[in-house]
Order: sequence, then structure tokens, then C-alpha cells
Amino acid sequence: MSDQYEYILKTEHVSKRFGTLEVLKDINLSVKKGEVICIIGPSGAGKSTFLRSLNQLEKITSGKIFIRDELFLHRENDHTVDKLPREKQQELLLEMGMVFQRFNLFPHKTVLQNVCEAPIIVKKEKKEDVEKRAKELLDRVGLSEKADEYPSRLSGGQQQRVAIARALAMNPEIMLFDEPTSALDPELVGDVLKVMKELAESGMTMLCVTHEMGFAREVADRVLFMADGIIAEEGTPEEIFTSPKAERTKNFLNAVLEA
Amino acid sequence: MKKSEMKKHSGQIITAIVIIVICIILGLLKPGRETLLSMTSPEMQKMIDADASSTRKRVTVTYNSLFIINYASLSTSGANVMSERYVGFLGKVYQADEGVMKVVGQMVNYTYRMLGVGENLMHGAKLTITLTTLTVLFGVLLGTLLALGKISKKKILSKLSGAYIFFFRGTPLLIQIFVVYFTVPGIFGFAWRDLFNVNDAEAVYKGAFIAALIAFALNSGAYCAEIVRSAIQSIDKGQFEAAKALGMSYGQTMTRIIIPQSIRRMIPNVSNEFIMVLKDASLVFAISLMDITTVSKNIMTSEGSYLVFIPALVIYLVITAFFGFIFDKIEKKFSVYE
Repeated sequence: MSDQYEYILKTEHVSKRFGTLEVLKDINLSVKKGEVICIIGPSGAGKSTFLRSLNQLEKITSGKIFIRDELFLHRENDHTVDKLPREKQQELLLEMGMVFQRFNLFPHKTVLQNVCEAPIIVKKEKKEDVEKRAKELLDRVGLSEKADEYPSRLSGGQQQRVAIARALAMNPEIMLFDEPTSALDPELVGDVLKVMKELAESGMTMLCVTHEMGFAREVADRVLFMADGIIAEEGTPEEIFTSPKAERTKNFLNAVLEA
Repeated sequence: MKKSEMKKHSGQIITAIVIIVICIILGLLKPGRETLLSMTSPEMQKMIDADASSTRKRVTVTYNSLFIINYASLSTSGANVMSERYVGFLGKVYQADEGVMKVVGQMVNYTYRMLGVGENLMHGAKLTITLTTLTVLFGVLLGTLLALGKISKKKILSKLSGAYIFFFRGTPLLIQIFVVYFTVPGIFGFAWRDLFNVNDAEAVYKGAFIAALIAFALNSGAYCAEIVRSAIQSIDKGQFEAAKALGMSYGQTMTRIIIPQSIRRMIPNVSNEFIMVLKDASLVFAISLMDITTVSKNIMTSEGSYLVFIPALVIYLVITAFFGFIFDKIEKKFSVYE
């Protein structure tokens, strides 16, 4: 696999329809390695759908998705026009880690098993190696002493940090965060954001759908404002938060920042 | 384990131990066979002695020992018809030819026969329990396959599973048993007893048992399929998504993530299915298998005893309670993570 590529992730004209409802309209985005991008916007704007269609949890209606400059998937009118062979697709998808709003930890497995499961059964790595790495990751998210607990014994913030460790255990190149702090009690948000911030500083490529404006402002290299299925405005955090151009962005930011 | 759980646990264990100890003591205090038979009248004793030196036996001795109580009945045939019955309990022997003790004696005898004490698995409660357990075991396995078929995205699999479930839930189990036992061998020209050695005296029973098991398992599979399907579909969609995002295949997601979580949710319904099958198992009387129901009905017709069905009910209840308890324990065991 060559490391020579311009964009680690790119979308061209991505659209998504649920029935007659157009959720995404012609989304174009290019992500370079190491970039941290935050996607903000009102609910129903299609932020989560966009993120989910990147790692194929949703099938796009039309558009192209490139991963490492390779055409990963090309669809028109709900028909696949072109795509990589299955194995290659699978391989590239493993480069994307995903963190969900509702954590989605496996409740019947301990914290350590949650982190180790996929590397062992998907990547067929040795159990000892994976466990060693998993313990380091749990240490990194500050939960090494919870390794043998079941998720139900953990707070939401702790569960989300386990979910981050679980995604990192696959050694992904990009991390997708789908409103990772929206389901958390306010006092637990900080711990999760801290982990994400450290991750960003370590050079991870990140796409975060978030309502945490402070986080976006501080950590993001680029902020996308999405509304009604389009990217209404994009720019550096500075541009978006201090001098938004689009009317929609202004209204949204006023509403959010006042609250 | 939490302290309160320990307490509850030890309470149950203590109760069980107390009951077992009481039973053992009662069992030890019960008079032996010899004591019971030594109570016979001189005339009967004379005939027993005469039998000992004759090839033609005229006295039939029945002796039933049921844990804490036992029962003996002696009857003669021929010109001089006599019959005597005794019940032994707590170190004493009671005459059981009339009144309450007669009923008690009958109950001991009926229970003994319906439980199939001293017989192989083809008799009484043993047959009922064996058939039920195996049925539910195969039923769940078959049901899991059918459920996976039914929720599969492959239209053909889904339709086939749906048709199977529709057929077996939409026709009477009794006729399904008849079809497996009579129709299938009729068409293909074999007999179920041929599966066993000709010299095996129980080949007919064993053959009928296999046929019954097949019919029951096929039928139970259809019901279990719905149990498994609803359990799988009750698992949060996020679990599928998380597994997919981690690169797991459909098979890996099912076997490692979804089915293990479904099992706990299935247990109450499987327990229910078990009890249904236990009761449906009485249908095997139609192909002359000797389960609890058949034995009780035979006693009713041959001895004209209308009381026999009462101990039959009690036996079914005890079995139900016992397995209900077991399933409860299994469910607790699978709930550790909640």
C-alpha cells in the first residue's frame, strides 16, 4: 500500500435520500492526513448521516468516496457504478475507527474484551499482543483499573472512553466521532474531550460531529457548518466563530453560544 | 457476588438440605421389604411357601419403594382368590385394604409406575423428561438456523424459513407425529423399529421414540425460531453498527456479539417452550409410547381407578417446578453483565 496520497479521504457530490427526504445534497470534502475537522450545525442537518455514510453504515444515493485517493465507491441513483473489490474495501474500512453517540459497547464483554475483540477476530492478531496494546490504550484513556469490569458498571463518560480505546485498538488512520459527548451528563463531558484532544495532538486524523463549540474552536483545524444537507460554510475555527459569513451560521452560533 | 445474593443463595441451599435430610431420615425409618411381607395373613403365607416348591406360581407380589414410603401388594389367582396390601411409613406397617390407607397405597403404586422407577428411559416420567429435553435442545438449534434464515437478506432463505415456520405452526402436532410415525415409513417402505436390533424387546418403543423426537423437534424448531428471531431483533441496532464499524463480518457479528446477547433474552421464552413441550409430550400416547399420560390412562382402564390422574398432575407440576427453577438459575448466570 503506498503512502503517497494527497487526501486520506475525499467525497465528491455525495447525496443521500431517505425516500423523498433529501438528507445530504452534493457534499464535497477533502481531508488531509493529520487534519482535525469538526462538523457543527443544527440537528437534522445531515451531519451524522454524512459521517455514517463514510464508513458504509449508510449507503449513499449518489456521489463518489475516495480513500487514499483511490475510488472507494461510486454510486448514482442508488446503483453502484464502481467500487473497489470487497477485500480491498474491507481493508480500507478498517482504517476508519468510529465512536458512536450511544457508545455501543458490547455489554456481555468486559472492558478489556471489548477492546481486544476486533483485533483478535478481524485482524487475527495474537491475543497476548492485543491485550498488551489494549492495556496501554486503556491506560491512555485513564481506565486501566476498569479492565475487568462490565460496561454496565461504568459511567457514560468511562464507557465512551472505552469505546475510543476500542476503536483505536484497530490502529485506524482516521477516527470518526459521531456526537461522542451528546449522551453524557455535563460533568462527564470533560474527560472524553480531554482524551479526544490528546488524540488530536498526537496527529490523528479526526472527523468530529459535535455540539461542543469550545472543543471545535480549540482543537479543530477546520470547521464545517452543515445545515439542510449542505455544507453552508467552512473555514478555520477563527473564521467560523468570530466572523461567520453565512446568515445560517450566524443564527446558529448566536443560538448556541447564548445558551 | 453481592452479599444479598449470597444470603438468598444460602437460604435456598439450606432449605434444600433440610428437605433432603428429612427425606433421608424418613427413608431410613421406613420399614423394609421383609417387614412388609412378614405381615401377611397365615393363609397367604402358606400359599407363598407352597409356591416356593412349585413351578406354578399362584401369588403375585408387587413391591414399590418410593423414597420415603413403600407399598406391597399380594394377590393370588386360581380358586382361592385373595389379595392383601400393606403400606410402610415411618417404621410402621399399615394394612391398606380399605379406607385412607388403601388410597395411600394406590397412590404410591401409581406414582411408582408413572415415574418409571426401575425401568429404562422408555418409561413414565423418564420418557417425558428425556423427550422434552432433547426436543427443546434440537428445537433451539434448529430454531436458531431458521431464525437466521428468516432475518437473512437472501429472499429465498427468508421465504423458505417463513414457509417452514408457517407449516409447523399451522398444523396440529398430533398429525405431525402421525405423519412421521406412519406416513413417512409408509412412503419410503421402512419401519421405525428396524433402526434397532430385531431381538431388542423394546425395538418398537425405541423406534416410536425416535419418530416422536423427530416430530417434536421439527415442531419445536418452528416455535423456537420465533423466540430466537425476536430475541435477535430486540438487540440494539447500535451493536450491529459497532461490530460493522470494527470490521466484523455478518457471521462474526452474529456468533460473537448478537447471539450471545440474545441467549439471555431467549431464556424466559425457552423455559416457557420447555413447559409447553413437556405437556405436549403427552401426545405420544397416540403412538403407544409409555409416558406419564399413557401409563395413567392404562391404569385407569385396566384397574378402573379414577384417582390415578391426581398423582399424574402432581408429577407434571413437580417436573415443571424443577425445570422452572433450573431455567431461573441459568438466566441469573447469563445476567452477570447487566
